This record gives sequence, structure tokens and C-alpha cells, in this order.
Amino acid sequence: MAKDPIEQAVETAAELHGLTLQAEWLEAATTALRTVAAAARLVEEFPLEDEAEYAPVFHA
Amino acid sequence: MSNTASDIAAAIRSRRATACATTEAALARIAAENPAVNAFTDVTAARALARADAIDAQLAEGRDPGPLAGVPFAVKNLFDIAGLPTRAGSRINRERAPAPRDAFLARKMEEAGAILLGALNMGEYAYDFTGENAHDGPSRNPRDLARMTGGSSGGSGAAVAAGMVPVALGSDTNGSIRVPASLCGVFGLKPTYGRLSRAGTFPFVSSFDHLGPLAAGVTDLALAHDAMQGTDPEDPMQAQRPVEPVLPSLEDGIGGLRIAIAGGHFAQGGHRAAHDAVALAAKALGASRVVEFPEATRARAAAYVITAAEGAALHAERLCARAADFDPEVRDRLIGGLAIPAAWVARAQRFRRWYQARVLELFAEVDLILAPATPVRAPRLGQKTLEWDGQSLPLRPNLGLYTQPVSFIGLPVAAVPLWPDDGLPIGVQIIAAPWREDLALRAARVLERQGVARL
Repeated sequence: MAKDPIEQAVETAAELHGLTLQAEWLEAATTALRTVAAAARLVEEFPLEDEAEYAPVFHA
Repeated sequence: MSNTASDIAAAIRSRRATACATTEAALARIAAENPAVNAFTDVTAARALARADAIDAQLAEGRDPGPLAGVPFAVKNLFDIAGLPTRAGSRINRERAPAPRDAFLARKMEEAGAILLGALNMGEYAYDFTGENAHDGPSRNPRDLARMTGGSSGGSGAAVAAGMVPVALGSDTNGSIRVPASLCGVFGLKPTYGRLSRAGTFPFVSSFDHLGPLAAGVTDLALAHDAMQGTDPEDPMQAQRPVEPVLPSLEDGIGGLRIAIAGGHFAQGGHRAAHDAVALAAKALGASRVVEFPEATRARAAAYVITAAEGAALHAERLCARAADFDPEVRDRLIGGLAIPAAWVARAQRFRRWYQARVLELFAEVDLILAPATPVRAPRLGQKTLEWDGQSLPLRPNLGLYTQPVSFIGLPVAAVPLWPDDGLPIGVQIIAAPWREDLALRAARVLERQGVARL
């Protein structure tokens, strides 16, 4: 069975950062990333023009 | 004597009370209350008493120590205090070298005559809405010690609600002043992004991080806000604006102000008390028009993505070296955040600009917008879920459902405590256009004068 891509992403990112991931952390970290993914999906569904500016720093 | 900062300062400035006696009384109250409430993580008694002596000496010489003369205050433990490591709620940071000097805002408070009594409990690295700290224990809600204070400025809310100090400083990235203000039943102010310097504080999400006061009353918020303004070259994100005091117009009332109620996202879910509190505030302020923050649910989602990514990036090195020393609830979210694709963050940042422009258009039509501060009253310590529109959601990330869409674009907000029934208090947000803290506080003051908002 193919591995859950979210879980795979957590494992890969940990490896890329040099973080030794303990087994008991993986499930919770995967759940956390799954929640972020759902939020990101909601944002991605919103149509933006290609010219829409990035807002890395906000000044009110 | 009243326990508001304004009354304390008035008594000391008129020499009806001394700073020394006031400080000793506050320290005694902390000694009595803190074992149960767990608001303070450090008490700087010797320093405070020395400072009180100096204030009394100034008065004896006929000099005015300032508008906060002798007022006890404390700071969330992510603020630098000279001589203490800035722990930011963590185990790891308490191994840091002691801070060489106080944070800019603590210095400004003392320049206005206030007296720092110590550092306050908080959620680890401010990634928290509960006030439950794995290393120092939870701060406990003085309204009901079995309940949460909210976070991450939980010690700040608890210290004010317990009457230990009339003013406490906190930080608010996604709601961390407004959530504990709501759950503890105190007043809070999250100023406009860029208004107050953040120099000398431990960061979380730089482009969302704000600092501000929690207090026993609206006048106290105004006094603290005005005292802390001023340009600081050490915070590159601070806006270059003149000092704009709010105290002179605080009693001007709401005549001529257009006040609306937030609909849509802010009217959905949440417990009845949250919406009853907004209705009470709206009635008292004569507000009936409903306006909608466009795409507020999506804005909250975008704030969530950016927070998770920036927070993880900030702590990546510490995670690699010391993951086992983090609060597991924080660690696991940060580890998940390391895997967020850059494209998600970029999209969220681009959406942010769109959202900011649309929301600012609303403020051409209205001056203030009312919204609930939290979806529920103070949950029980250890509670893991909240009910939202018939769903059971994880509590920790979702206490900020109503605050995140507002801080996401840096708007100023006063949070006021209401008591919609015989139960615990719950907060209402009074949201203004950028740089209009004065209007939010004027409306808050009207609610306070009417007795609608109170400690």
C-alpha cells in the first residue's frame, strides 16, 4: 500500500532538516500537517490574478 | 484603594499613598495568590522595592514620576527583563544568558513611573491559545481555578484578573492578548501592527507579532498604550509615525461613530454566550448594521498556514538539537510545519494582500466593527476539544477562530469583558481601522461606563 503522502512529507522534511524523528512524534506531526494542508487547500481555491502581489511584510 | 492603574497613580502622585506601600501590597498579594493561579514565573521583588523607593524620593523632592507613578505591572516572560533569561515559556530558553536590559516597552512603562514586578507564565514560544505550559504548569483562571486562562499570554490575563497587577503586557500573534482577556474577563488592547516596538522580546511570527497591554480598565489600557509609544530604531518593523495619544479623547463617547456588527464567519458557530455578548455590546452602542469581512474563513486559514510555516522556520535549529525538550503539543506542530511547501505560504501571503484591501474598504463605511473574541468561555484545564457548528474540533488551535482574521492584517482591537448571564465572562472585540486605537478605546470606555463591560 502506498504511504500516506502527508506522513511521507513529514518524514522527508525531518530528514532534510537533519531532525531525528522519533516514532511517537510522527503521528501527531502528520495530523498537524494534515490540518495545515486543509487550510492551504481553502486558500488555494480562492482565485487570484497572477499579478497579485506577495505580502511578506505587512505595514498597516 | 481601587486597584486600577489610574487610581493608584493618582493616589501616589497626590501623596495619598506611597509607591513603597503599594508595591509591598502588590508583592504580598502575589505571594498569597500566585501559588494557586500560577501567573508569575519570576518575581523581581528587590528591584521593584528599590524602584518604589526612587519614586517616593522623586515625589518628596516635588518631581512628578509620570502618569503611571508607582503602578505595579508585569510582563509575559517573552519580554526581556535585565538579569533574567528570557524563557518565552520554554525549557530551552531558560538556559540563555540573562538579558542585559529590559525590553523597550518595559523601559517605556518605567519611564512613565510604573514599577515592574516580574515575568508571567505563557504558552511555550507563544504557539498556544490555552495558557497551559508543560514546563511551568498551567496558569489558572482566577474566575474558576479549574479552568484555562487562555493563551498564550495566560499569565498576563490571570495576573490582572486576580488583582495582582492592574496592567500586564502580553503579545498577540493570532489572538494571544484577546483570547486570555476574553477567558479571564479583563480588558485588552492589540494595537495596530507596527505601532509599538517589539525590540527585546522573543518573536514567533514576525509579520503578525504585536505587543500590547491587558488591564483592569479601559483608562489603564489607554495610559499604558500612550506610555509605550515612541520610535525605536531597534524594531525594523515599527512604523514611522508620531506619538498619537489616545487618553485625551477617551471620554469623547461614540457620537458620530458608525458602529457595525461582524456577520458571516464571526456570526457562525461558537457558543450562545459569545454571540449574546456581542448583542449586548451592540445594543449599548446603538449598533444594528451587519457587515461582513470578505473571505474571513479563508483569511483565518491563510493565517494558520503562515503561522505554521514561519513558526517552524524560526525553531528549526532548536527542533533538530533539542526536540525532546519542547512541549510535545508545540513540538509536533512545529515538526509538521517544517514540511509545508513554499507554494502554500506564497499563496497565503498573496491572498493576505487581497484580503487587506477588501477589509479596508469596509472602513470607508463604518468606524468600528464588533465581533466575538472567543467561540467559548474558559474551557476546563486539560480540555482537548470544542464544539463548532455541531463538530468537535481540537481546542488548542481553534480558540483563535475569531481573532485570527483580524490580526492577520494588523487591525487594532480592544477586547472588553462582558457577562451575558450568571456564568463566566466572555470577550467582545471592538475592531477599528489601522491607527484608530482611539476609536476602539472610546467605544470600550462607553461600555465600561455603562457597566456593560466590567471586571
